[in-house]
Amino acid sequence: MAKYEAKTSSYKIISLLGQGFDGKAEVHLAKYLPTNEMLAIKKFDMDKIKEEAQLVEREIILTRQLQHPRIISYHLAFVNGPSVWVISSLMAFGSCRDLLSRYFNDGLPENAIILILRDVLDALDYIHKKGFIHRAIKASHILISATGKACLTGLRYACPMVVNGKWQKSIHSFPASTAGNLNWLSPELLEQNLLGYNEKSDIYSVGITMCELANGQEPFAGTTTTLMLTEKVRGCAPQLLDCVTFPRGLALESSGDCDSKSIENRKFSEDLHSVAELCMQRDAYYRPTAEQLLTHPLFKSHKKSMPLPDLLKPALPMSDRVAYNKDDVTNLDTINRLSQMEIYTCEWDF
Amino acid sequence: MPLFGKSQKSPTDVVKALKEAVNSLEKGDKKAEKAQEDVSKNLVLIKNMLYGTSDAEPQTDIIVAQLAQELYNSNLLLLLIQNLNRIDFEGKKDVAQVFNNILRRQIGTRSPTVEYICTKPEILFTLMTGYEHQDIALNCGTMLRECARYEALAKIMLYSDDFYNYFRYVEVSTFDIASDAFSTFKELLTRHKILCAEFLETNYDKVFSHYQRLLNSENYVTRRQSLKLLGELLLDRHNFTVMTRYISNPDNLKLMMNMLKERSRNIQFEAFHVFKVFVANPNKPKPILDILLRNQEKLVEFLMRFHTDRAEDEQFNDEKAYLIRQIKELKAVQGH
Repeated sequence: MAKYEAKTSSYKIISLLGQGFDGKAEVHLAKYLPTNEMLAIKKFDMDKIKEEAQLVEREIILTRQLQHPRIISYHLAFVNGPSVWVISSLMAFGSCRDLLSRYFNDGLPENAIILILRDVLDALDYIHKKGFIHRAIKASHILISATGKACLTGLRYACPMVVNGKWQKSIHSFPASTAGNLNWLSPELLEQNLLGYNEKSDIYSVGITMCELANGQEPFAGTTTTLMLTEKVRGCAPQLLDCVTFPRGLALESSGDCDSKSIENRKFSEDLHSVAELCMQRDAYYRPTAEQLLTHPLFKSHKKSMPLPDLLKPALPMSDRVAYNKDDVTNLDTINRLSQMEIYTCEWDF
Repeated sequence: MPLFGKSQKSPTDVVKALKEAVNSLEKGDKKAEKAQEDVSKNLVLIKNMLYGTSDAEPQTDIIVAQLAQELYNSNLLLLLIQNLNRIDFEGKKDVAQVFNNILRRQIGTRSPTVEYICTKPEILFTLMTGYEHQDIALNCGTMLRECARYEALAKIMLYSDDFYNYFRYVEVSTFDIASDAFSTFKELLTRHKILCAEFLETNYDKVFSHYQRLLNSENYVTRRQSLKLLGELLLDRHNFTVMTRYISNPDNLKLMMNMLKERSRNIQFEAFHVFKVFVANPNKPKPILDILLRNQEKLVEFLMRFHTDRAEDEQFNDEKAYLIRQIKELKAVQGH
């Protein structure tokens, strides 16, 4: 904690990596000048953030109270002008969503999915045992480091299971500002009925995320929210698309954006299909816990895989040597300066 | 009782073992590593007795009562809090969970732990200074807010000298700690309406001279949060006396008028909600009225253009229209 200084002059912003939180947060690649370490800085523009300010606070406080190698850690958060800067390690491959959108439109190879999945389950096991439900497991909340470790982020949607000094059996609160996560959420969470939901809701989301990683897009993408909800409540389990679940004949009917050839020609292992199926069972009671899933044969048979960075080629980890667009930063600076130029001419007489 | 495996340790044994471990951790002798391990292990045992685990229910009320009694008698709660910085990361959170559960214990309408802490206020004072130390600040925060739920404990904290340190804690450079300190600060000032109103009335000068600093803070988040809280405090009917006093001071009005023009739209908006109280006051003292009159036209023009994009916020637009009308109709009072 004390390692990083809470002043902007210690950090040199190098380029814009992306946006988050509905455009109210920006992630920058930066260098920590005292040590030349490359870092990610997330800047929340608090003046654009109104009621959600609490979410930002919650995310930062909760992330600071969790320590696990598979959960992104925030080294420091401090206020600079109207924004909050959050300093964290650089996750050089970006999020799994970025990887899918840029390099793997039809999905990641099975070995990569397994390595990522194992890390996510590891993180989730810890989160659940510490008494929290994540409530936003999805590819965009899984970040990959330069060495190929997957880390979970997105904790602003999480909620505690320990309420009023008791460990609750079920939770009824609906997460705030969650419109972008609905496709990943479990039927019982979405139903919002008296039975509520528990940490098994995250396991369902793991299943949806597996589909997203395998297919390139989450199931129900592009369908209406009502249809998505009725399908989930009906118990329709989405699948990992390959030659088994997506036979040749079906290709004509589908109007998907992905290349149906590559889907017809690939085959995921039975274990992978089985894990996805276990996760997306309609009845939460039958879904395994994260700990139980980690003992699935899928992970046992998989000790000798290639390291993740090799599996992710042609994607390359970001570093200060990778070419970046300097204009991004210059433009941002200009925009920021312009937006601050609004001048008040009115002077009060006291 | 489990049928297999080690038999359950009794509350007396666990508390004893934990106390010994914390004591040797405090001494920091050669066995520190072993002590650390023992502290963590016994904390988990106590936590599991209270909360249960995925395969075990929490212990029965009788066991929990025994455990609580042992904790009081051994003075262990204070010892744990005093040594919180020496306990490992997960152990610190376990201390908070154990504390928060024991605190909520009830026998009928009595809260025995609350009664116990009233006799040992050092527990509260030690927790309150927890914000001085980065690595325990958030853990202390969760315990403090649980304590603040009880009026008796909130009173001890509000009336302690340490309370004024919060005006510093809410402004520290680390965002998470400042925000957490602010939540605690707000809880203390708003939770028990009558207690809070009395506190603010009797300590008006001291509290508001400190509060002024927050409103002028260089830290944007502090400024915004404290301004918002000020609006909430003044508009709470329990704080009527405090509000009347606040809106009689022309310096406060000047500050709000300047904040209306701040660059940040959120701050402008929060300032509006304090400013409106000055204008709506039917018995404006002369200095207040003079300032409003001197700026009558400017204010009307300013408010006409103020946050016009909030077309959907009906209440805001009604209030704004009301203020404009009030300001237009202002007349100098004769004979004062």
